[in-house]
Amino acid sequence: MTQNAHKRSGIADRLEAWLPKIILAPTTLAMIVCMYGFILWTGALSFTKSRMLPQWEFVGFLQFEKLFANPRWDVALSNLVVFGFLFIAISLLIGLLLAIFLDQKIRGEGAIRTIYLYPMAVSFVVTGTAWKWILNPGLGIEKLVRDFGFTDFEFRWLVDQEMAIYTIVIAAVWQSSGFVMAMFLAGLRGVDDSLVKAAQIDGANAWQSYWHVILPILRPVFFSAIVILSHIAIKSFDLVQALTGGGPGYASDLPANFMYTFAFNRAQMGIGAASAMIMLFGVLAILVPYLYSELRGSNRG
Amino acid sequence: MAIGRIGIYALLLAFAAVYLMPLYVMVMTSLKDIEEIRQGNLLSLPESPTFYAWVKAWGSACTGSECEGLAPFFFNSIRIVVPAVLISTLIGALNGYVLAKWKFRGSELLFGALLFGCFIPFQVILLPMARLLATLGLANTVTGLVLVHVIYGIAFTTLFFRNFYVSVPNELVKAAQLDGANFFQIFRHIFLPISVPIFTVTIIWQFTQIWNDFLFGVVYSGPGTQPITVALNNLVNTSVGGKEYNVDMAAALIAALPTLVVYVLAGKYFVRGLTAGAVKG
Amino acid sequence: MGSLTISNVTKTFGSTEVLKGINIDIADGEFLILVGPSGCGKSTLMNTIAGLEDVSSGQLLLANEDVTDRSPKDRDIAMVFQSYALYPTMNVARNISFGLEMRGVPKAERDRKVEEVSTLLQINHLLDRKPSQLSGGQRQRVAMGRALARSPRVYLFDEPLSNLDAKLRVEMRTEIKKLHKRLGTTIVYVTHDQIEAMTLADRIAVMKDGLVQQLGTPNEIYDDPANQFVAGFMGSPPMNFVPCEVAEDGSIAIRNRGAVVSLKVPQSDHLKGQDVRKVILGLRPEMITEPKPERSGEWIVNMTMDFDVTEPMGADTIAIGEWNDVEVLARLSPEAGLSAGENTSVQVDLSKACLFDPKSGERVR
Ligand SMILES: Nc1ncnc2c1ncn2[C@@H]1O[C@H](COP(=O)(O)OP(=O)(O)OP(=O)(O)O)[C@@H](O)[C@H]1O
Ligand SMILES: [Mg+2]
Repeated sequence: MTQNAHKRSGIADRLEAWLPKIILAPTTLAMIVCMYGFILWTGALSFTKSRMLPQWEFVGFLQFEKLFANPRWDVALSNLVVFGFLFIAISLLIGLLLAIFLDQKIRGEGAIRTIYLYPMAVSFVVTGTAWKWILNPGLGIEKLVRDFGFTDFEFRWLVDQEMAIYTIVIAAVWQSSGFVMAMFLAGLRGVDDSLVKAAQIDGANAWQSYWHVILPILRPVFFSAIVILSHIAIKSFDLVQALTGGGPGYASDLPANFMYTFAFNRAQMGIGAASAMIMLFGVLAILVPYLYSELRGSNRG
Repeated sequence: MAIGRIGIYALLLAFAAVYLMPLYVMVMTSLKDIEEIRQGNLLSLPESPTFYAWVKAWGSACTGSECEGLAPFFFNSIRIVVPAVLISTLIGALNGYVLAKWKFRGSELLFGALLFGCFIPFQVILLPMARLLATLGLANTVTGLVLVHVIYGIAFTTLFFRNFYVSVPNELVKAAQLDGANFFQIFRHIFLPISVPIFTVTIIWQFTQIWNDFLFGVVYSGPGTQPITVALNNLVNTSVGGKEYNVDMAAALIAALPTLVVYVLAGKYFVRGLTAGAVKG
Repeated sequence: MGSLTISNVTKTFGSTEVLKGINIDIADGEFLILVGPSGCGKSTLMNTIAGLEDVSSGQLLLANEDVTDRSPKDRDIAMVFQSYALYPTMNVARNISFGLEMRGVPKAERDRKVEEVSTLLQINHLLDRKPSQLSGGQRQRVAMGRALARSPRVYLFDEPLSNLDAKLRVEMRTEIKKLHKRLGTTIVYVTHDQIEAMTLADRIAVMKDGLVQQLGTPNEIYDDPANQFVAGFMGSPPMNFVPCEVAEDGSIAIRNRGAVVSLKVPQSDHLKGQDVRKVILGLRPEMITEPKPERSGEWIVNMTMDFDVTEPMGADTIAIGEWNDVEVLARLSPEAGLSAGENTSVQVDLSKACLFDPKSGERVR
């Protein structure tokens, strides 16, 4: 519905016609300055030689070259690939499995769902702190298993260059898989019962009807979940900070931690800005195709 | 059939145990003294439960150079969260009302542009925002943090309210207009009374997001204005004398308690916020 | 005091012109019905009258006052929506009195008005309920009550009964008619229901593609349609349209049961000597009946027809035959319908036959 625009009688009426725009004005201003303006600002900064303070001397792609020549960025990027892939795949798998099982008219479903989802209410810093203790080499899981009688058991991923990134996967999956379960469960509840009945009449057993009938319907949920999880993965910062501090050394750094370290601790603003821009492009690369297919879908429907 | 169902229950309960384990470990560890932690293991029950760790985490643990516990930071977080949640929710409600029911040329475009704000990695605005806060004299202040949280929360709150209000029939607005109600009267008499659920969802969402924020907190706060997440991280990483895991766990629980309580009390709305913010966003 | 003049009103959304110059004069106290196919702009016209949409050009006069630029609240017009649009969180009493409240009418006065209106509509016992606790018919009454409470100068009804079941619809139709008699206020009313249109209207405006095709009393619209569109739109089952050749003497030729029959129609004298070769004959089904010996006259023709199908409707039977290779519907009495089939005698009354130009659809008189 359109508003009743312009040429109304009294001043009050004319003001009223402007109200919608007046109300959106502050948001619009904040959005233009603090989102798009700032992105441009960061983008511009990444082409300068800024260090401690912004310096508007342009140096072309130098910062990007430096960034990609930096072994620490290399580690951060490949960590993101490993972490992102495992985090998304495992969360999807567990989330889907739990949702399907929970959808079998389970007694106490509400309570179980509550348990699966509570990690989502907790901050990544808390999650990191808790798992840092659980995975503690010496007093954590290692000790627990040794107390069971396996006296040679070793579990020192947290301080292992190679394995530290996997501890982050564990903690992140613990925190987010319940949420994926909730999304799938909502999707399953939305599936028309008669479809399953029709499949059964056609002779499909329970697993066949899930595989051939229900999962294809849940495809949009898969896409949404993947987009959200990759979004979480790219932005992950607090979890690493709290769980491993990026360590040992910088073995478990993610791009977000790299950016923070270089921009704020090392006074390398130019490189920090360049890494932030790469992160933005990473998000866009996932988001744009997703939004595109969403919009096309909704136009068609 | 029966065996299959037993298997399903067993698996569901096993997973429930895994999800609960960290919470259990945290609580148990926080109730032990350091000697017992060294002797026992993660799952063992405390033999003589003590609140020593909780008292210390709250009142005297060191978070960097000061040793006043988490208490001051807990209140910092409250001073940040309350205004930020209220302001961003209110703005979101009005924005959503306009974007759903008072569309004008370009308003859809505006909404699309705003939606993008739900997705940008905040790293890309960290540096310029720091400059802006410094220019405004708000660096390292609670006000500055409130401002940042409001600005980057509006995209979500607007999305929530807009999606809720588009499902309200246009005829309702038309009827009210003919009844002589103006823009704000329609909002107040027709839209506000039906908005309790969406206000609940939005407030819970914003509360959880802002209380749990670490990035803005660590970048934009100063020594006296740090939120509890930052203080917790400092506390865990400060070791004066021996490492006190029980204090760490008590501190983590203190930091998690407010959002956990909200989750337990209003889980339904919490989940709705998650799915609304996520699926639609 | 409630006369309404719509003059040259146009409305465009973006690049589509939805109203293309509407002219309607509605007298004070008149009951005007708007009909037309879906999407022809009826609701848009109602919205512009109410002020919910601005006109793109043209003028609206209410009681000879220009209200084109007035906001909805200053027009003194009430509207009843198809969806009823009751305020979901308010009870029935507040729904009815909300308009008065917004206009600053004191509480006592509002209560009196609610009492009066709810008595009139027999909804006193529902006043404390929320809309979600009402049946469809009750919601409809409350929606009307909300409009009535304000005693506006004009009521707009946009398909108010189309969400009700058939029986309730008939009841409410009668009630609206009574209400109009009693209040004597101007009403503009949109409907898709032919019978509603015929029974309620003082005048009917038939719209198509944003233009008024014809404005007239129900009888004028039915018996003397301005063009083929109007003729086909009003009436159920619809008017028969048979493409025909015109002979030299102005009579028209139809092929019935393999033989050519020449029919003289009231327009024949006029057609004689004109250069019109092809027309479309429009004849309502009730003009083809079983023979009625008491009727005779210049335009009454007896013939026999072959009917393939008969459809008993209770009060009469529709029989389907063929002229010039197009279907022709006849309306027979139930008794005659029983024996209708091959070679059935019928009587055709051509006194109200209409002729249309095959190209433009306009009447040929
Ligand atoms: N706000 C709008 N923006 C763009 N086009 C519109 C708008 N409102 C209506 N239209 C278009 O104007 C045309 C007329 O719509 P309107 O609702 O007036 O039809 P109607 O005659 O009431 O149909 P129905 O009998 O189905 O109610 C339609 O093609 C519709 O798509
Ligand atoms: Mg309509």
